Amino acid sequence: MAVRAGRWVRRHRVAPYLLLLPSLALVAVLILWPTVQIGTFSFQNYGLDQLVGASPTQWVGFANYSQILHDPEFWLSLKLSVLSAAAMVPLTLVVGTLVGLLLARLGRKMAAFVSSVAMLAWATPAVSASVIFVWLATPDGGVVDWFLTKVPHWLGGGAHWAGFSWTNAALPAYTLATALVVWTSFPFIAVSVLAGLRTIPDELFDSARVDGAGPWQVFWRVTYPVMRPIFQVLFLLSVIWDFGVFTQVYIIIGELGQRDEYNLGIYEYSTAFQTPPAYGLASALAFVLTLILLIITVGYVRASVREGALL
Amino acid sequence: MGLRKTPAALVAIGTAAALAIAGCSSSSSSTASSSSSTSSAPSQLVVWRMGASVASQVTWMNGVVTQFHKDFPQYAKTKVKVVWIPWTTNATDWNNALASGKNAPDVTELGNTQTPTEASLGVLANVTNYVDAWSGKSGLVSGMLANDTQNGDIYAVPWFGGVRAVWYRTDQFKAAGITSPPTTWTELVTDAQKLMAKYPGTYGIDAITDDTNAFASFIWGAGGQIATESNGTWTADLTSAADEAAIKFYVSLYRTYHLSPSKYIGQTELGNTGSTSGGANTDFGLGKLDMYIDGPWATATMPANSTDKSNWASFPIPSENGPNPAPVFAGGSDLGIFKTSKYPQADWDLITVMDNTSNSTSFANLQGFFPPYTAELTAGPYKAEKFSAGFATAAANSQISPLNAKNWSTADTGKYFIIPDMLKSLMNGAPFQSTVAAANSQLQTVLNTGAES
Repeated sequence: MAVRAGRWVRRHRVAPYLLLLPSLALVAVLILWPTVQIGTFSFQNYGLDQLVGASPTQWVGFANYSQILHDPEFWLSLKLSVLSAAAMVPLTLVVGTLVGLLLARLGRKMAAFVSSVAMLAWATPAVSASVIFVWLATPDGGVVDWFLTKVPHWLGGGAHWAGFSWTNAALPAYTLATALVVWTSFPFIAVSVLAGLRTIPDELFDSARVDGAGPWQVFWRVTYPVMRPIFQVLFLLSVIWDFGVFTQVYIIIGELGQRDEYNLGIYEYSTAFQTPPAYGLASALAFVLTLILLIITVGYVRASVREGALL
Repeated sequence: MGLRKTPAALVAIGTAAALAIAGCSSSSSSTASSSSSTSSAPSQLVVWRMGASVASQVTWMNGVVTQFHKDFPQYAKTKVKVVWIPWTTNATDWNNALASGKNAPDVTELGNTQTPTEASLGVLANVTNYVDAWSGKSGLVSGMLANDTQNGDIYAVPWFGGVRAVWYRTDQFKAAGITSPPTTWTELVTDAQKLMAKYPGTYGIDAITDDTNAFASFIWGAGGQIATESNGTWTADLTSAADEAAIKFYVSLYRTYHLSPSKYIGQTELGNTGSTSGGANTDFGLGKLDMYIDGPWATATMPANSTDKSNWASFPIPSENGPNPAPVFAGGSDLGIFKTSKYPQADWDLITVMDNTSNSTSFANLQGFFPPYTAELTAGPYKAEKFSAGFATAAANSQISPLNAKNWSTADTGKYFIIPDMLKSLMNGAPFQSTVAAANSQLQTVLNTGAES
């Protein structure tokens, strides 16, 4: 029996599909089924009454989607998501790349030390890191405000920073969130860049230097072109992560009290769960958010296919 | 080859985790159902209390539970578990408990402005039959019970009431040369300025943005209304001359007079929304804030190392031109039975012990609240003491509408923070007319429809 079954499997080349089956089943249960449900809700007036069966669920067509597109708060939260990602992504990449380049130049022991310290920042749970940053920047004796009062006036410091609130408006709140996100995500970039640098033969750098290239030129003429696929992947990963950032911003803006400081994820959460809950509307929002991320992901997949080595 | 192994391993781990989660939830639900079916008395009742856990209230509750076991021997083995829920998230927690059917309370405390909203959302069980048969019903302050009644059905019973006033320190007033508490807005500003001059580095008064229950007194103190109802339709009134004067004055406490720090913008009296201590409350306790608007219950959240406590006193929130104080929001809490509770009779029996005359009065006295019974309220010692004198005077002229409108919670603390956001925007420099007009139309829509469309 067993032998014959094995032969059938081999003849019909089903082995790869059999091996894929467990993960497919898992994806179906954990992702596909919820997606189908959310997709259904997004076309319904699904709220608390409908969930507990107090009133019937009704199909509302595209009403939820049209409400979202006509909602100024959706556009405000989308703007905050886009702008904060536009600040976080380049800063993370620049800082990460610089640290990666530094790591490549350090001796073995020092490199191990620096990279493990950096990884600690990456490994810090998002909630802990956010709470610590809120404390650092609290107007009641936080070290950030204290430091800024000591900074000379011509550098932008001064007494007006005493008791400065980092949470009472979108700009300072997202400045803090950006600092936090950059701090926790640059180590991943640095280590990836370091790994990429190790794949470049030393001869390339040597000949560039012999030709009289400085560090700036070496980076842009040798390192960057060779590692471009890696940078593309890192860029797209960062966009996906930073566009969808929730935990850090949620804690920094003090949970849900500040509607003018919501990003898209928090707006969606508020729509779903704050009184009165609107699960249908929030499902439509989730689909819009997914659609935006999907467009970015298509770019990511294309880049990684071209890169090849990372697959 | 090495790379190919990783996904398979991940899948294996993921599957194991999924199975573990599934196993977990199924076993816990089966134990819950078996325990409920084996005995008629509940093994446990869950009571949701609002705010941060306070030692004296825990002691009080322990006493109530002992009495509950004695008065109702059938519940002698019933445990009473108290869960503390932050005020700012309680509506979400009720929704989630109702939606998921998990971790739900049996009995819950509700802010009296929340009861109409939650009753209409279907979170509360109808307790009309219990209340009608209850000996305590006739003694309740009738307006408080009416607030918990919808279309003739009762959804909760009043537990305690409370009002806000302005906290201050008598010795600081004396040192700053203030002979009697301010009774007009102009005097309030002048006195705050005197205090800040006398005590450099302190703030005069807190102009927080996320406490409409307190801010309402400024609107009412100018002779205005937040919104009025006629034939079931709400008309928002924020753009009236009186309301605009109140909004302008309140914003000027920060923008013009700098009596309130910028960090209070976007904060409740307890700091950031979602926190259960901190903010202006802590600042007053530590002597960094000279005057502070809150109810007497604020003592419970003041820091342990609060200074100069013996000189704490209160005066009613001044009206625009005096001499009578501004009307004050009649706040308070109710007790209700959660819709999904399996033991409504036991829940009600517990409520009757928590809310009987002596327990509700001792609880009120403990916190500086007022009991919900007319006889206790008028006979109480509430006006004699200097600390509570201001609150007692304020309570004489109180108002609750529109803060008990069915959609008020949605407009003010649920999905929308209309007045808090308006005050925040204005303090951050938004143009006055258009910001107030936008808030006014949003408020009117949400009060009437429960959503913005």
